[in-house]
Amino acid sequence: MTERKNRGEDNPRARIRRKRAIAIIAIILALAAIVFICIFAGYGGPIGPSDQGRYITFQTAVDILLGKNPPNSDYAVRIIWDVRMPRVAMAAFVGAALAAAGTAMQAVFRNSMADPFIIGVSSGAAVGAAAVSLMGVGATISLIAQPSLAFIGAVVTVFAVYKLGTAKGKVYVDTLLLSGVAVAAFLGALVSLMLYISGQNYYKLGYWLMGSLTLSSWLWVGVIVLPVILGTVIIFLYGRELNVLLLGEETAHNLGANPEFLKKIMLAVAAIMTGVAVAFVGIIGFVGLMIPHMMRLVVGPDHRVLVPAATLGGAMFLIATDTLSRSFIELPVGIITAMLGGPFFLFLLRQRRIRGGRQ
Amino acid sequence: MRIDIKGLSFAFGTTKVLKDISLSIEKGEFLALMGPNGSGKTTLLRCLMNYLTPEQGGVLVDAKPVHTMTDKEIAQLFAVVPQTSPTDFSFTAYEMVMMGRIPHARSRLSSENESDVSAVREAMKRTGTLEFTDREFAGLSGGERQRVIIARALAQDPEILLLDEPTVYLDITGQLEIMDLLRNLNGSGLTIIAVMHDINLASRYCGKIALLHDGRLESHGTPQEVFTPENIMRIYDVEVIVRRDPLTHSVSVIPRATSLIVPAHGTRVHVLCGGGSGGPLLSGLVDAGYAPSAGVVNVLDSDFELAKDLHIPVVTEIPFAQVSDDAHLENLKRIVESDAVVVSEFPVGPGNLKNLEAAVAALGKGKPVFVMNAETAEKRDFVGGKAKQLIDDLISRGAVKVNDKQDLMTKLAERLGR
Repeated sequence: MTERKNRGEDNPRARIRRKRAIAIIAIILALAAIVFICIFAGYGGPIGPSDQGRYITFQTAVDILLGKNPPNSDYAVRIIWDVRMPRVAMAAFVGAALAAAGTAMQAVFRNSMADPFIIGVSSGAAVGAAAVSLMGVGATISLIAQPSLAFIGAVVTVFAVYKLGTAKGKVYVDTLLLSGVAVAAFLGALVSLMLYISGQNYYKLGYWLMGSLTLSSWLWVGVIVLPVILGTVIIFLYGRELNVLLLGEETAHNLGANPEFLKKIMLAVAAIMTGVAVAFVGIIGFVGLMIPHMMRLVVGPDHRVLVPAATLGGAMFLIATDTLSRSFIELPVGIITAMLGGPFFLFLLRQRRIRGGRQ
Repeated sequence: MRIDIKGLSFAFGTTKVLKDISLSIEKGEFLALMGPNGSGKTTLLRCLMNYLTPEQGGVLVDAKPVHTMTDKEIAQLFAVVPQTSPTDFSFTAYEMVMMGRIPHARSRLSSENESDVSAVREAMKRTGTLEFTDREFAGLSGGERQRVIIARALAQDPEILLLDEPTVYLDITGQLEIMDLLRNLNGSGLTIIAVMHDINLASRYCGKIALLHDGRLESHGTPQEVFTPENIMRIYDVEVIVRRDPLTHSVSVIPRATSLIVPAHGTRVHVLCGGGSGGPLLSGLVDAGYAPSAGVVNVLDSDFELAKDLHIPVVTEIPFAQVSDDAHLENLKRIVESDAVVVSEFPVGPGNLKNLEAAVAALGKGKPVFVMNAETAEKRDFVGGKAKQLIDDLISRGAVKVNDKQDLMTKLAERLGR
């Protein structure tokens, strides 16, 4: 009893800060390690088999990363700088966007089952992407048209869902949630219909729907980097408000936060950052749902540390799963995230039940 | 610091929820907002803290309208304790209380400083929640959680504490714990405005009551002034008896029934009682439609008070005196006018032995007599066996033995054909 009291007497704030600092540093180190491993991994080595007789040695890879291009290393430079690096960077930004937006949506909806797609981003983007397939434009045009239309589809859908869940300038999160589900079901049917009609482009669209980073380029990275970084920073800056929003809108208001403004800005930020990510890489499920949960177990529920942790964790997770997906046969990464994510999520749910935790 | 609610009206769409409410609250007051469900209590609370904006009128704090203040100013003025707080996250009690410091943060990026830490510690000390520091909020009991939320409200360092039915989901221990805590805080100068449901709890702890009905302020004042049987009948549509709580002398309200189950048929039953033995019988008879009377009872006896509250005619004697001949005669007169006589289970001493003699007289006049628990006669005989003898006598001469109120009702109905 006295021991408990003594623990209570020292400064709890210092203790909390220490724990958080350690957790964030550990996550950053793990992310750095994974980035390096994943740049080194793949066909052609240094981690992995040789590619039609060509093999990058460990020394060459390190030299290339340090900017010293050894002689006769054109192949290695191209693989590392133009194939793997943009792909790792794209995975990092998409993973970060999904996880950060998922964290924000779970707070706004006060529902741990919420994810960034709950407000119709994915279904809207799918309609845009499917429309391009249906039009049957050439490969070059579709390279630009698909992400553009997907992004437009996402933003228009989110706006419609938002309007359906709003009355007199007030956002009703439960109505919003149901509107999102209903709109997604409707648009899902529309996508299926277009898939059915589109015939020869079926394969390409299917690949997009399953989520894939195969075509990543520096151009893609260039487009998404700004919205993702800005969005994450905005969500992070509102961390304290997101904390109190979890306690209910009345309490949030009483603690000086403006719940209406907060809900609107979070919805807008999440829609734009995930919309732009999904437009390029397709629908990658489970990252936005799962990573915030995992990170909550590691660093606790305070958004001022949860948002950075989830952002880094999302990046780490998608880099790792994408590397897995390209290491064997080129699988859409969405399949891997769902196959890993589903069981893992069930495991978490069961754990909580067994520990006598809350639903 | 003084709050003036002036001509406040509020509507959800076309439904008027608050109608022209005017009310002043002084510094250091402990006010309960009360009224039936849907009377507008919680809406008024939300208008106070500027969560809802009134249609007309408004709230002034020291003559300054609340709606002209910034969110931060309001948050430093009012702290709110809701009915319950969600528990589907894993904040610790300490983190919950620390959230009360948000209105005091200098900027979005500034983290908690030493004064926040000491304010949190002080608030947790005052609410007895320091020992929960590292515990998860969700893992605490309902009462403990509510104390943590009150600690958060105190950490906000407010002038006024607003509570929305703070004890509604708590067991009796939790209720008293929270109310005692609030009284302590009020004693140290904090103004408290609480929506309350339990009339007895409110009158015991709150200095002032504002009673709302259908969006209007019906009554405002001390519990004694507000909780009259008339007010409660008018607003809650419940018949009550108002007493003083024997422990605290606060107003205590005992509900009767919303309406009579059986229409009154007016069959007259005289109950010989005293010492509290007649109360349940009298109210039971009224509920079953009878027109009971009682006697002979000393003034201030609890049977006397109950009979008065139920508007039952009662033959009385002055306190602590023996039943006089006058009272005895009046008692006999009541018996003659009645269709039946009930002898309740009262202790018999020299003072009220006449009540048993009156029962014997009733039998003599051919009235049906019902005797409650005749077998306990010996235990409550304080006149050397005379009482037991009289009761035995009653039974042997045809009085009906009954065990309890229900038994009495059944046998009365059989005998009188009701």
